[in-house]
Amino acid sequence: MKIFRLSLFNLKKNKREAAAIIFLTLITSFLMSVFFVSITEINKAFDKCFEETGCADVMLLYDESKYRDIYREVLEDEYNVTEVRESTVLVGSAAKTISKQGESIAYNMVFTDESTERKIEDFVKLKALSDDETEKLSHPIWLPQYFEITGEFSAGDTFTLVSGGREYPFTIAGFYNTGFCNSDRTLFKCVLTDYDMSLLSAVYEEHRMIAFDTEEKISFEEYFEKCSEISGEYVSGIVYPFDKESEREEEATFLNIFLYMSAFISVVTMISALFLILHKISKDIEQQMVQIGVLEALGYTSRELSLSYTCEYVLTGGIGAVIGGIAAAFFSPVMDSLTRGMINRDVHTDVNILRIIIVVAAIIALVTFFALSRAARVKKIPPVVAFRKGIKTHHFDRNIFPLEKLKKSINMRLAFKGIVHDLRSNIGMGMCIITAGIAVMFGVYLFDFFKNGHDGLLSVMGMEMPDISIMTMNGVDTEAFCEELRQMPDVEKVLLNCALGDHVEVKGSPQSPAAIVYKDFSLTENIHVKEGRFPEYENEIMITVKRERTEDRHIGDSIIVKSNVGEKSYIITGITNAMNNSGWSVYMTDEGYKRIRPNDHPNIIEITLKNENDRPAFEEKLTALYGASAQDMAAEQSVQGSLEERVKAKADEKMAQLISQYDVTGADYAIRIGDTMISGNSSRFVIKEMSSMKDLARSQMESIAKVTKTISFWAVIFIAVVVAVILGIIAASAVKRQRKELGIMKSMGYTSRDLMVQLTLRILTVTIISSAIAAVLSIQVQRAFWMALFGVNIPEKPVLIIGTAAALVMFCLTVTYISAGRIRKISVTELMAE
Amino acid sequence: MIPVLHTEKLCKSFSNGGTQQHVIKNLDLEIMEGDFTIIMGASGSGKSTLLYALSGMDKPTLGKVFFGDTEIQNYSNDQLAVFRRSNCGFVFQSIYLIENQTVLDNVLTGAFVVQKNSPELIMKVKELLNKVGLDEKMQNKYPNQLSGGEAQRVGIVRAVVNEPKILFADEPTGSLNSASGKDVLNIFTQVHENGQSIVMVTHDIKTALRGTRVIYLRDGSIVGEHRMPKYGEDDIKVRREKLTEFLDRMGW
Repeated sequence: MKIFRLSLFNLKKNKREAAAIIFLTLITSFLMSVFFVSITEINKAFDKCFEETGCADVMLLYDESKYRDIYREVLEDEYNVTEVRESTVLVGSAAKTISKQGESIAYNMVFTDESTERKIEDFVKLKALSDDETEKLSHPIWLPQYFEITGEFSAGDTFTLVSGGREYPFTIAGFYNTGFCNSDRTLFKCVLTDYDMSLLSAVYEEHRMIAFDTEEKISFEEYFEKCSEISGEYVSGIVYPFDKESEREEEATFLNIFLYMSAFISVVTMISALFLILHKISKDIEQQMVQIGVLEALGYTSRELSLSYTCEYVLTGGIGAVIGGIAAAFFSPVMDSLTRGMINRDVHTDVNILRIIIVVAAIIALVTFFALSRAARVKKIPPVVAFRKGIKTHHFDRNIFPLEKLKKSINMRLAFKGIVHDLRSNIGMGMCIITAGIAVMFGVYLFDFFKNGHDGLLSVMGMEMPDISIMTMNGVDTEAFCEELRQMPDVEKVLLNCALGDHVEVKGSPQSPAAIVYKDFSLTENIHVKEGRFPEYENEIMITVKRERTEDRHIGDSIIVKSNVGEKSYIITGITNAMNNSGWSVYMTDEGYKRIRPNDHPNIIEITLKNENDRPAFEEKLTALYGASAQDMAAEQSVQGSLEERVKAKADEKMAQLISQYDVTGADYAIRIGDTMISGNSSRFVIKEMSSMKDLARSQMESIAKVTKTISFWAVIFIAVVVAVILGIIAASAVKRQRKELGIMKSMGYTSRDLMVQLTLRILTVTIISSAIAAVLSIQVQRAFWMALFGVNIPEKPVLIIGTAAALVMFCLTVTYISAGRIRKISVTELMAE
Repeated sequence: MIPVLHTEKLCKSFSNGGTQQHVIKNLDLEIMEGDFTIIMGASGSGKSTLLYALSGMDKPTLGKVFFGDTEIQNYSNDQLAVFRRSNCGFVFQSIYLIENQTVLDNVLTGAFVVQKNSPELIMKVKELLNKVGLDEKMQNKYPNQLSGGEAQRVGIVRAVVNEPKILFADEPTGSLNSASGKDVLNIFTQVHENGQSIVMVTHDIKTALRGTRVIYLRDGSIVGEHRMPKYGEDDIKVRREKLTEFLDRMGW
């Protein structure tokens, strides 16, 4: 009881500090509880949500033209799979759609009919039009839940697919809960009528769908390798694999960033709270030395006294931790709603009270341990020593920064003396600023990287982002076509992409890379050499930073690249930053690529326009000049006009079908109707498909950019508040503790401003050193973050780093200077009257 | 003699639980250059309050304080601090040395607020410290390693190092034993002999004997004044008798 009374007495005297510790432990407890509860519960909730769809455990989508029955047989013979289901779906890679705002946006999409969908899962419908309303729709479409949760569309809205120059409008019949393909970073699965499926089969690529259940986790790499060995085809390059774990991992990326940032902030606040507690106990003991002596003389044991200090902080820390824990428990519905927005699924997490209790108990235990260890100092102070204000005041040390050696400013010199005098406390404060500084700087880097939306991510994609990508028909002289395009006034640059993401294999590496192939890399804009140089000759190759680090391959090393045709050795000439293909791509020249794929002919043309906004008009122009996409033409149903026009249109449609579906390279026709001869050829059909990588990139990355930007902004603000609270309290406690000394200085003629400057300069030194250390460490944290998450190395911006460090220093100084304003209130006469 | 400091109708009141307490009442006072003025009076008579008001440590409620020709009563706190640094020196009863600074640094902290560092200044400070009996070894000690008398000697050197126009002292021997007190008073006498104007508050007759002028305060007003020759210029016995007589008259 005595101890508790003493603690309450101390608490009443230090209300502001108590409030700060409650605030910091509250935040720590809240964020840490949210982290520990969510990190597991959300996985469980995802699994539950996944199970509700009745989805198969695994789904594989093979390129129909390259699919072999043996692939299914391998599964059935060598893996413990059950319920194998097979069907055909359509896959639209970077399929262009029109957003509600009328903007063009691309998604990777899978189209199925209802019977195929029911083979994959239960087709659980969510918000939908009534059956009668749906019945009346001529082109109904069922979209995955993503589109409802993001608020992008509502049931009854029009959902328009665009291919080449043609629009395919659908009416959204409703949304459904899907296990796979509900993420903008993988694919979206849409359910259509049989009629629409047959219509779109001429537009999008057919894929063989194999779905099955399995008790064991299947290693896709191993399975693909087995298939490759049997078929001689490079299988991992022709299949999209899906399983629950990868889907969860993919969809939870945002959430994990959010949760880990919360956890990091909670570590910052915890360190700050502990530092504040240690600092306060030390200073309290120092300040109350005589009082300690008096109490000891009155019969209080040093154990009781040290417990009274401990109890004070256990009380404040405990209050904060408990309130934070309760807040975290009540935060669950908000967290569900946040999670819903981040993983685009309806999740309901259970509040794991036990975990919250563990977090709260751990915080209280930490506070108790640190407070107890520091408060134990009281034991070293017998009454006689206490009356003499402790051993510490009996200086036998060297006089550091003697005034005799003063060069310039007395304020600066006195500030330095203060730093040395309070070294331990300053080291603690430095640690606190370093931790907070790392968090602030990392937040600023993230904010800066995402400040222009997904442009930052595009810059490290390691692949070109042209305005328009054209896939040409077979047999088209692409070099000549490129030259023709270059002559067009709207065009800034035309590049021939020799292997758009075609997969190859690197011997000795489990990671199969996409090959990025250009004739001359120096003409690319978005592929940058980090080290070394671009490949120039046929036996040269450039690898990514991720491959360099993970596989310990370096410039000058040889690397063997394999395809289904053969394998060749290449010399690594350069290292590049690349996020595409999870950071595993390889870069080679067209001649180099031909060594392993001699029969491939480049058929992707990338066009960069002088003005990006001219894209729709330019696409129309291309369609008019080089024909609509053959796939679109093949899907045309009726054409109005004269007999001759209708015959020509029908003939074009027929040729388009031949070209797009049977790989015909050229066709001529002549039709006699009475005396009239109608003739033509396929020379108009140059373009097979037209798409925009930029649109796809926007749909895949814009949301992650927005979320990260917002989170990092608020994280920086929040940590700045924490830093302000800590520094404010340190400055206030320094003024309180040194009241007498400051009064003496005032009596000598030092102005309040002089004294505030001295106090601020003391913080300045610590802040500058800490900010510099934080800047260096934050670069390492940033590198580790990007490498772990995206396999890239973001180039550091020295100006940003120095600017942020300087801003941090200025912020700390301003807060300290303002907090030191209470020096003005110190009255010299009161001091003398004491 | 020229007044170095004078007041006109100086008043100082404090609010105590809603009640106004007038500590100094319409006080007119002149402090002459080279004078050693002693302020005496019973406890609560307003001695210390008058000292703070005169020295610019505190602002009067009403009235004026002239330092030479300059009125200081309307100065801001920072202006008063700047004023104090070159015009006033202070010696406190509780000494108030800065505990984490050596003797030399304590004095230099006071010196550097006005003067720039120079070998001459360092030499001067060391000489001053030597004069009051604090040798090189003592100069590198910290306040807690000093006796009360030694510490107060440091306090005096710190107060005079900037050669202030007036040296204010608030019961400088109040916390010292008689031997140390005597040493300190000898230093004050020495300083006065060098032409320093001093205003000192004291309760102690022995201390008051060192002055050239004793003013007696009662309820915030000067009720009596006693002049004396410089210490040592007259017979000490006679000096004490006259002062005792004056103080008796004042009701001491």
